Amino acid sequence: MRSYIIKRLFYSVIIAWGILTITFVLLRVGPTSPVDRYILNIAAKGQDVDSVRQAIEARYGLDKPIIEQYLLYMGNLLQGKWGWSFSASQPVMELIGSHWIYSFQLILLATIFAIIIGVGLGILSAVKQNTKIDYAASIFSFIGISIPGFWLGLMLILVFAVYLGVFKTYYDTSYPIWSLENLRQLIMPVLALGTGELAGYVRYTRSAMLDNLRKEFVTTARAKGLSERTVIGKHVLRNAVLPLVTIIMFDLGSIVFGGAYLTEIVFGIPGLGQVSFNAIFANDYAVVVAVTLIGTFLVLFINLVTDLIYTYLDPRIRYD
Amino acid sequence: MTELRAKKGGKSGRPFLIRHRLVSYYWERLQKNRLSLVGLGFIGFLALTGIFGPLLVQDPHQTDFNILNLPPLGFSIQESIYDIKTNEITTTVIQGRPDHPLGTDSKGRDMLAMLVSGARISLLVGLLATGIAIFIGAFLGVLSAYLGGWVDNALMRFTDIMMTFPFFLLLVLIVFIFGPSLAIIVLVIGLTGWTGAARLIRSEALSLRTRDFITASRALGASDTRVIFNHLIPNVSSLIIVMASLSIPGVIMAEAALSFIGLGDPMSTSWGTILNTGQHSLDSAWWVAVEPGIMLFLTVLSFNFFGDGLRDAFDPKASV
Repeated sequence: MRSYIIKRLFYSVIIAWGILTITFVLLRVGPTSPVDRYILNIAAKGQDVDSVRQAIEARYGLDKPIIEQYLLYMGNLLQGKWGWSFSASQPVMELIGSHWIYSFQLILLATIFAIIIGVGLGILSAVKQNTKIDYAASIFSFIGISIPGFWLGLMLILVFAVYLGVFKTYYDTSYPIWSLENLRQLIMPVLALGTGELAGYVRYTRSAMLDNLRKEFVTTARAKGLSERTVIGKHVLRNAVLPLVTIIMFDLGSIVFGGAYLTEIVFGIPGLGQVSFNAIFANDYAVVVAVTLIGTFLVLFINLVTDLIYTYLDPRIRYD
Repeated sequence: MTELRAKKGGKSGRPFLIRHRLVSYYWERLQKNRLSLVGLGFIGFLALTGIFGPLLVQDPHQTDFNILNLPPLGFSIQESIYDIKTNEITTTVIQGRPDHPLGTDSKGRDMLAMLVSGARISLLVGLLATGIAIFIGAFLGVLSAYLGGWVDNALMRFTDIMMTFPFFLLLVLIVFIFGPSLAIIVLVIGLTGWTGAARLIRSEALSLRTRDFITASRALGASDTRVIFNHLIPNVSSLIIVMASLSIPGVIMAEAALSFIGLGDPMSTSWGTILNTGQHSLDSAWWVAVEPGIMLFLTVLSFNFFGDGLRDAFDPKASV
């Protein structure tokens, strides 16, 4: 057990090193260096380009040999020095510190929504297998998986904000985060982001439930005369839900973060996606890199936590 | 699956697609799934549109400022113009015109022409990028499983690192660094999207590796390359085809999303680019945002239907 945890931790450190190395290589082999991008902005303001370039290269250590640059890059990131955002005129870390909450609330609410509706529909369609409810749920999940979240967001704005006027067309940051108005204006973004997520959960839950319904312990439970409610709720669901934890965590990196990025842009929510989006057009290198790295390290952290939680939830892993 | 293959196909080791009886057997199984045929039909229609469509419609880049925001045929909108001299508002009804059956956008470009161009881009990116990704995934997966040892270990750790990156955030970062062009987008999606395929194909190849027919062919003195290309790859080919068809929709959506946030090829019109334009004219020209979204949705849905049918057809355990 302990050796498993240590092994898992060590493993995460290796992955973290790999992530940083890959981003470093990407930045170095790119056709334009971060300095060039910065220079573009400086040159636009009519300053002497060459002296600025030298000053920047010296400041960021870009005149040193590549190995030293690599070590410097790693060291800075580990110490939390994530660079300076010139478009926002503040350290990248501060910029992220003041915006992450908007992404967090969106992702959290959308995921809760997706889990409740998705798992619920999945259970319902497994229990009522091959009925109209089951078919409806499966068609719904096909549509949900295929509909691009950002387009769904646009359509929600078109119908509910432009034509019906139920919601505002933009996200109003003047409401405090912990207010009902804020919750209300998050309804459309959560629907746009959550639909794709929940459609996947419907399918996973349904097939996991069906797999477990055929198992012998279910027959035993029924033979003991337990009510159908207990059989489904305790015996089948508990076994089916466990793999779902991994899938939900995996989805965060592969679907949800990207989806949240786009949803924020569509609805004008000032989260990290919006921050990165604005930075792209301002050629603000440090910010774009930072947002991608934060997303990646979150995935790494979530994977680690999931694995560790799993050892507690599933005794088979613990004693392996 | 291999037993089935051996029974139906006769000689093992011949490439899957040359074994006509096997192909017709799977085709029969696929035909039993109506939805997958509908999907295939739509994909065929889209392919024809992408290949021949641009010859039949006008240039998608051609602007006409006399016909801005023309609604689709059969729809009409009211346009109010305020005259500052007379202080009067004149309202005119604008009808759709048969020479622009799907309307025009805010620069007077023909929607039909732009959608046709978008079909070409989506399919091109979808097929090419998936092709690259699946090729890399299959190659690394088979290599990893067959060679085992430290090669397997190193390749799988590298896969883990690549999998930790949130897919879309990595795309945004790389396209930002290397600059948006169609070739870069195809390459980047292809070079980053192979991880899932590599893992799946590796695990399939691992179980094949210990099978008797592989041992037999090794005992007969077959070289490593012969075993890999004549035995391992043909036997995972159905898995490769299913993986490919199921990953195309994600690739198409990723391209649309990149174009939507302005990281698409500025020289070509894709559905994502049109959606980007449409986003800003939701209140004056709803069709600009609706039409490309519907095309994107139907395309992704078709590939999902088709891929699902294909998976069931190839799965000997599934009853179709």
